[in-house]
Amino acid sequence: MNLMPEFSHALVVCISAIFTQNILLSYFLGLCPFIGSSREIKSALGLGAAVIFVMTCTCALNWLVYHKVLVPLHLEFFRFIMFIIVIAAFVQFVEMAIDRLSPSLYQKLGVFLPLITVNCAILGASLFMVIRDYNFISTVGYGLGSGTGWFMAIVVMANIRTRLNNDAIPKGLQGAGITLIIVGIMALAFIGFTGVLAGK
Amino acid sequence: MTKNRLFPVLYMFVITLIVSTLIIGFSQYTEERVQANKELTFDTAILKVLPGMYEPGLSSVELHKKLTEQVDKPTTEGGAYTLRKNGEIVAYALPIEGQGFWAKIKAVIGIAADKKTITGFVVYEQTETPGLGAEVAKKEFTGQFENLEISTQGKPITFRRAREELQIGQVHAVTGATQTSTRLEKIINDNLEQWLGRVGN
Amino acid sequence: MKRREIKNLVYEGLWKNNPVFVQVLGICSTLAVTNLVLNTIVMCAALVLTLSLSALTVSILREFTPRNIRMMVETLIIAFYVIIIDVLLKAYWPHMSESLGPYVGLIITNCIVMGRCEACAISNPPFKAILDAIFNAFGYSFILLIIATIREVLGMGTFLGFNVPYFSSQYWDKWTIMVMPPSAFFVLAIIIWVFRSIQMSREDKKK
Repeated sequence: MNLMPEFSHALVVCISAIFTQNILLSYFLGLCPFIGSSREIKSALGLGAAVIFVMTCTCALNWLVYHKVLVPLHLEFFRFIMFIIVIAAFVQFVEMAIDRLSPSLYQKLGVFLPLITVNCAILGASLFMVIRDYNFISTVGYGLGSGTGWFMAIVVMANIRTRLNNDAIPKGLQGAGITLIIVGIMALAFIGFTGVLAGK
Repeated sequence: MTKNRLFPVLYMFVITLIVSTLIIGFSQYTEERVQANKELTFDTAILKVLPGMYEPGLSSVELHKKLTEQVDKPTTEGGAYTLRKNGEIVAYALPIEGQGFWAKIKAVIGIAADKKTITGFVVYEQTETPGLGAEVAKKEFTGQFENLEISTQGKPITFRRAREELQIGQVHAVTGATQTSTRLEKIINDNLEQWLGRVGN
Repeated sequence: MKRREIKNLVYEGLWKNNPVFVQVLGICSTLAVTNLVLNTIVMCAALVLTLSLSALTVSILREFTPRNIRMMVETLIIAFYVIIIDVLLKAYWPHMSESLGPYVGLIITNCIVMGRCEACAISNPPFKAILDAIFNAFGYSFILLIIATIREVLGMGTFLGFNVPYFSSQYWDKWTIMVMPPSAFFVLAIIIWVFRSIQMSREDKKK
């Protein structure tokens, strides 16, 4: 079987998930932890990295669960519950594994992992993967791309926010307000990428 | 009892069991309806693009009956549904689909027997941006296809910018929906050209 | 339950502790559909239903639920109601179900639902839990409806699909950006700004 076209499709899916269809900037998913954890660069990096990892793995796992278990059994409507269980179980498992294998990494990433279970971007990516009917390779590409897109957005945001620390922002706009305005400007800039992958 | 270590497991199990039973029962109950809805949108789309076939206010059963009785299934004719009167082909209805901006766009395009005019166009499944791309499913846009002549030179159908003057085989694209328009144009033309190639002019 | 207590719940949910402009929670799943008022209404209705029903269920089961698995039980209950709503929409309003896409399912991870279950329903009697849930959901919905109205009127010149005088005429150049994603962020930010400022000026007056 020639896998080249599959891989190139997966690559396109991955890149478009980062730029043109960024899960945060054009689908608004994962906004709560985004606003909450973008105050410092360090925590943004940690959370972002955890999201990339978890999103890629859970997308792949959920693809298997959906297409190999739920579809043959005609239980597609169970996907909401199944996906959540898979995500929660996976996060729990990773937490334990990291704790045993590398305590230093656990100290850096550990606190962010439980936060991820309730990150709607993770569940959202899995649901989009089903709706768009991706094959397995594209799903992995999509998970990776979406995670990376989210990572990029939160790291950039954290950088911008640390610079805002000393600025005189109107009181009502401090915190969430100004963050949303900056996300808006970022989203605006990302629209510029729209044409890049036209026709694919 | 709550002190028992097995209690949480048992509790979770019972809750899951109750919830799953309810959901399965409920979705069984609505499954037929969901399926019927899907067929209905498709049936309606086919009838709408064929000239003089669609009457508003028909029930889903009547619509389906009309379709099965008067329109031939796509066995020959390159995958298009055909409407015949007295044995003569009056029009074709060609289901087409392709990648839109967000997800797949599915549509039906009606073509007159001479294969030179479009009789109608209906988008029956799309998830384009509401207010922008999604406008392609509205009557203001699809209505332009009625009695539209297919161009024999270049692309069969061309989308032009709003307010520009139209020539044969041209329609106005939806303003602000560049992505959806380019993709839809490609979907229509690719399918149309392929189909024309299959059935011959 | 005393009237004052109820009044307090209403005040907390709708204004003082509003889920959107004070807590900034749970906007993810709904913000995406705010470019059309109708979609927003349906999403908000789905949220009101899910939130109040799951708060009620969680509250009824609170005495039996073991502490250590309560999060899982809550998620399961929320998911149950969301699936029911999703199936209902698919069966009786297929068009809406399609245009909302995966966002109905994403109510499961809407932090406000989980948040209210954890903060109120798990430790309070059903009546209080459901009131708290309903008024939080209303407080959430009315802000999103404001956003949706601004976006649809400025972006498309319509409200619920009907033409709005002036905005749908040729004198108004439609702000296409309003129907695209970035504007949701801007409009939400401005609303947070306005409402927080009103809140703050009121508090200052009290002092």
